[in-house]
Amino acid sequence: MTIDADTVRHLSEVSVSVELETEDMTLNIGPQHPSTHGVLRLVARVDGERCYDVQPVIGYMHRGYEKLSEVRTYPQVTTIVNRIDWVSGYANEIPFIVAAERLMELEVPERAQYIRLILTEMARIASHLVFNASYPLELGAATPLFFALRERERVLDLLESVTGGRFHPNFNRIGGVKPAYAAGSNTRKLPQDLPAGFLQETRDAMDKVAVAVDQLEDLVAGNEIILARTRGVGILPPEVAFAYGVSGPNLRASGVPVDLRTTEDYLPYDRFDFNVVTAENGDCWDRWSVRLQEIRESTKIIQQAIDSIPSGALQAKVPKIIKVPKGETYVRAENPKGEMGYYLVSDGGQGPYRLKIRSASFSNISILPWILEGILVPDIIAVMGSLDFVLGDVDR
Amino acid sequence: MTSSPSETDTTPLQEFADRVARAVGGVAELQFDTAKVKVAPDSWVETHQTARDELDLVFFSWLSAIDWSNQVEVGDPPSEEVEERIELLSALSDVTEGNLVIMSTDLPTDSPKIPTLIDVYAGANWHEREAHEMFGIDFEGHPNLQHLYLPESFVGNPLRKSYPLLSREVKPWPGKVDVEAMPEKGPADEEPSTENPEA
Repeated sequence: MTIDADTVRHLSEVSVSVELETEDMTLNIGPQHPSTHGVLRLVARVDGERCYDVQPVIGYMHRGYEKLSEVRTYPQVTTIVNRIDWVSGYANEIPFIVAAERLMELEVPERAQYIRLILTEMARIASHLVFNASYPLELGAATPLFFALRERERVLDLLESVTGGRFHPNFNRIGGVKPAYAAGSNTRKLPQDLPAGFLQETRDAMDKVAVAVDQLEDLVAGNEIILARTRGVGILPPEVAFAYGVSGPNLRASGVPVDLRTTEDYLPYDRFDFNVVTAENGDCWDRWSVRLQEIRESTKIIQQAIDSIPSGALQAKVPKIIKVPKGETYVRAENPKGEMGYYLVSDGGQGPYRLKIRSASFSNISILPWILEGILVPDIIAVMGSLDFVLGDVDR
Repeated sequence: MTSSPSETDTTPLQEFADRVARAVGGVAELQFDTAKVKVAPDSWVETHQTARDELDLVFFSWLSAIDWSNQVEVGDPPSEEVEERIELLSALSDVTEGNLVIMSTDLPTDSPKIPTLIDVYAGANWHEREAHEMFGIDFEGHPNLQHLYLPESFVGNPLRKSYPLLSREVKPWPGKVDVEAMPEKGPADEEPSTENPEA
């Protein structure tokens, strides 16, 4: 059959005159999918190109940390909490350690607090760089990945030089920090401190990271395809974000200047000058942009901290067997992914009686059924990627 | 960073906790920089409505529970006898001042029941599903009270203190030796003590 203009006209008339039988389809995405940062499964009802009733299925990574921590001692729990959000493992340790210290009423030496702060911000940079690598990739732009991961490697190498671990530093001790360098032994105590030259190297590395952030911005912000796919897509109004507990950069992108670094006192952030980055529209583009700007702010914080780091001890005096006095406390921190907190209930023993882990990604992806309602199927990836979650942080 | 309950009588946190307690008709309890307000189970939903609408505690952070039990299958039992109950907790905060309050209510250990918070905070959905599977709390009016993490066929409520950790039943925990006293004392070692070294 030859297709000429008349045939086409005829076919088009046929198609409009007949009511097409359409049927909803159930689309299953995952649990293994390159854009999900772990094992997340989405079940969506698809009507043409739009999807409805999206139900995330989680639990593939559930490791039962809350139960496990009830049979572990406090120093051992640090190892567990490292593995919650493995993209920024270091930052997970801080609120737990601070919660235990608060119950013990320990005063942590200033230098240890500064080191914690510097490394936490480095973890934030590493986490945001992973986002800046993977998000454009999910939208089809492969080049930013190389820029972002090169800088992340720089940061992780420095992190490793202090802690001995790239992903799971397990570096904090109750009462301070414990550098892997010159760790000493039971009988012969060597001076423990940061590796020689670490501070200067970090300071220089931050300049390089800041340059790379400019490059990333040039690369991505000028890309029309990325703009078209992210501007006005997946808009999250602040009121909805509050009700679902969406926090961190996702919330700040919706124009809410909430940053626990400015309101909580888990680390001495009040001594440094930095901006709480917000955006106006709360779409995918803003969520990308906020994370990129936050890398700049983190480099500024780190350089200020390096310039003013006091000397002194790295560890407060603590008993060898750590028993945390009876009490309950909730400590929350601004982690790269959002609000991370631990509700620690101690009964005076060597391990927690109960440890509730409030992880940011869990609340951040509980918004998915709401935010993906009626969205186009290809936009699922754009929206999901922009929320920047890690399944280990969802499932705990 | 350190503050004991006794010296925080006039802090802004205490004032905030009292304000919340007055508004919702509960009892404020302050320990270690954490404000907790205890309310009756009957007023659980109203409490959250008041907190959201009148106290500007619009941010729903989390909801979970504690199983207070004298009989434990894993871990250490409580050092003193506790009143057996399931303590339901929710954390609410504002988005301006950085205040956070833990709402708390006591439910019976046998078949705990409470109305759902979904109509007040939509985000309670997943948290209640988690508390349902982990503690066996029945959230009345919840539209989809199915397992969240665990497979549908899973039996039991793992975060109950009565739920054993099966891997430990089969093989004792190898890390247990770590918590025993070291045989030799190094020069820098102290007697094990929970005293605050600053005191």
